[in-house]
Amino acid sequence: MIEIINAAKQYGNGESATAALKGVSLTVKDGDFTVLLGASGSGKSTLLHIASGLERPTSGSVKYDDLDITKLSEKELTAFRKKKVAVIFQQYYLLPHLNVDKNVKMGADLIGNKDYRSIIEAVGLGCKLNKLPSELSGGEQQRVSIARALAKKPQALFLDEPTGALDEETGRQILDYICRLQKEHGFSMIMVTHNTNIAETADTVIKMNSGKIARQYSNENRKSAYEIGW
Amino acid sequence: MIIRARDTLKLIGVLIMSACAVSVCALFINSNIDLARIKDQITDPEVMAFYDVLVQSGNVTSAISGGALLLTTIIMLFFYIKHYIDTHKSELGILKALGYSDFKIAKGFWVFGLSVFAGTSVGFGISWCLMPMFYKQMRGDELLSDVPLPDIPMHFNPELVLFMIIIPSVVFAGLSILYSLRKLKSPALELITGKSKVKIRKSKQSSKEQSFLKELRQNTVRSRKSLVFLIGFSAFCYSDMIQMSISMTDTLDVGNMMTVMMAGIGILLGFTTLYIAVTTVIKANSKTIAMLRIFGYSDRECKSTILNGYRFTVAIGFIIGTIYQYFLLKTMITMFYNDEIYGLPDYSFDIKAFIITLVTFVPIYETIMYVYSKRLKRISLKEVMQSE
Ligand SMILES: Nc1ncnc2c1ncn2[C@@H]1O[C@H](COP(=O)(O)OP(=O)(O)O)[C@@H](O)[C@H]1O
Ligand SMILES: [Mg+2]
Repeated sequence: MIEIINAAKQYGNGESATAALKGVSLTVKDGDFTVLLGASGSGKSTLLHIASGLERPTSGSVKYDDLDITKLSEKELTAFRKKKVAVIFQQYYLLPHLNVDKNVKMGADLIGNKDYRSIIEAVGLGCKLNKLPSELSGGEQQRVSIARALAKKPQALFLDEPTGALDEETGRQILDYICRLQKEHGFSMIMVTHNTNIAETADTVIKMNSGKIARQYSNENRKSAYEIGW
Repeated sequence: MIIRARDTLKLIGVLIMSACAVSVCALFINSNIDLARIKDQITDPEVMAFYDVLVQSGNVTSAISGGALLLTTIIMLFFYIKHYIDTHKSELGILKALGYSDFKIAKGFWVFGLSVFAGTSVGFGISWCLMPMFYKQMRGDELLSDVPLPDIPMHFNPELVLFMIIIPSVVFAGLSILYSLRKLKSPALELITGKSKVKIRKSKQSSKEQSFLKELRQNTVRSRKSLVFLIGFSAFCYSDMIQMSISMTDTLDVGNMMTVMMAGIGILLGFTTLYIAVTTVIKANSKTIAMLRIFGYSDRECKSTILNGYRFTVAIGFIIGTIYQYFLLKTMITMFYNDEIYGLPDYSFDIKAFIITLVTFVPIYETIMYVYSKRLKRISLKEVMQSE
C-alpha cells in the first residue's frame, strides 16, 4: 500500500517560490489502478515524482507499507527505487545507441531477471529485438519503455502521460497493453493522462487543480469520466 | 547566422591552446631574430658554439611546444565545430531544407576563427610581458656561466604579428569553413532526424550476451570517437611533455626556463583537453545518467559505466606518449647536442622520469574522475527534462 500524507512541494524560495503541491493525501492499495486527471500545471507530475521517490516533498510523507521513503538517505532511496518502482515518461527516454533488447535489459539486470524477453513478446516487439529506438515508431518506442519498466518487476508503476506524444489510435493501443499487463502482473499503477476514457478501467479517479486534489472518485462501477459527470 | 561571435569566444580550449602556442613561439622566435642581429659581434669560437646551441634549442623548443600546441588547437577547434554541428543538427538541417546551400551555411562558421584571434593576441601579449626576463635568462648563467654573450637588444619584430596572429586567425577561420562544409554534406533530412548516426553504429552492436552495464559502458565509449581521441590525447600530452622535461633536466642540464615551460605546457594541455572531454562526456550522457538513477542504479554503477570505459584509452595515450618522447629526445640529442662541447653519452630511456610522471598522473587522473562522479550525482531528471 502506498500512502501519501499531506505532501507539499515548493519550488524556489522567497519571491519566486511556486507551490506546485499544496498538501495532498492519497492512498493507493496494492494492485489498484489510480488515474490522475487535471489541467497542465495542476501538479500531476509533481505528485507522481514525489510518490515514486524521484523527488522529495517539502513537507509531508510518503509511505510504502510502513516504510517512510522521505526519511531515507539518497543511497537508500536509490535502492528503494531499484526494488519497488518503475516510471514511464511521455518522452520514452530510451537509450539511443542501444537496441530494443539491451534497452529492456536495463530494467531486467537490476533484479537479475533472465526471463525479460517474454515481456518484449508481451508488448508485441518480439520481432524487433535488434532495432534501435530511432528505427521504431513512437508507439513502438513507448512499448519498449513499458517493457523496460516491467522487466524490473516493480511493485508500483508510475506513468506520466504515457500516450501524450502519440496519436489517439496508437495511444489507445498502448493503454490496452498497459492495462492488460497490470491485470496479469498485479502491480499498483498510478497514471497521469489526458485521456478521460481510461477512467473506465481505473479503481480510483482523481482530479487535480492548482496543487490540490479537487475531486476523488472511487470507481467501483467502472464508469467513464463522462458518466461520472466530469 | 545562428552562430554568435560571443559563443565562439567561449571556446576556452582553443583560446588557451592558441595563447600558449603563440606565447612560447613568439618568445623564442623573437629572441632568435634578435640573436641573429648580434651574430657578427661574436668572434670567440667557444662563444659561437654556445650561440649556436642557444639558437638551436630555441628552434627545437618552439617547434616541439608550438607544434604540439598547434596540433591541439586544430583538434580542439574541429572538436568544437563537430560538437556544435552535432548539437544543432536539426536547425542546420532545417536551413538546408529551406534551400540554403551548404556553403552559405558553412560561411557562418568563420566566426570560430575569432577564438583563435583572441587566443593568439593574448598569447602575443603574454610573450611581451615575459620577454625582458627571458632575454636576461638567455644571456645569463643559464648554460655556460663563464661565457657571457654580448648584450642582446630587444626589438619588436612586426612580421611576427602577421605570422603569429593574423595568418593563424585567417587560416583557422578558413579551416572552420572547410571542416563544417564537410560535416554538412549529409542530406537535410538526415540532419533533422539524426538518422545517419544510427546507420553507422548499427553494425557495431555486439550480439554477445553480457550485462547491461558492461554493454552500456562499451557503447558510451564507442558512440563518440572524437572524445576517445581527446581523452587519449590528454594522457599523451601529459606523459610526453612531463617525461621530456624531466629527462632534459637530467641529461642535458639545459636551462630551467625551457623545462619548466615544457612541463607547464604538458600539464596545461593534458588537463584542459581532459576537462573539455569529460565535461562533454557527461553532458552528452546526462539523459542516460538520469535514467539510470531513476531506475535505481547506484551512483557507483553510474560512474563506472559512464567514466571508467576510458581508462584503457588513457593507458594507451600514456604509453604512446612515453614512446614518442623517447624517440624524439633521442633524435634531438643525436642531432644537436652530441658534439665536443657536451660530449654526452648516448641517450637511454629515463626510467626515473617515467616513474615520476606515472606516479603523479594516476592520482591526479583518479581525483579528477572522482570530482566528476560527484557531478554525476547532481544530475536530476527534472533538469534533464527541462533542458529539452
Ligand atoms: N523544477 C521546477 N521549478 C519551478 N517550478 C516548477 C518546477 N517543476 C514544476 N514547477 C511548477 O509546478 C507546477 C506544477 O507542475 P507539474 O507538476 O509539472 O504540473 P502538471 O504535470 O500537472 O502539468 C507548475 O506551475 C510548474 O510551473
Ligand atoms: Mg506533467
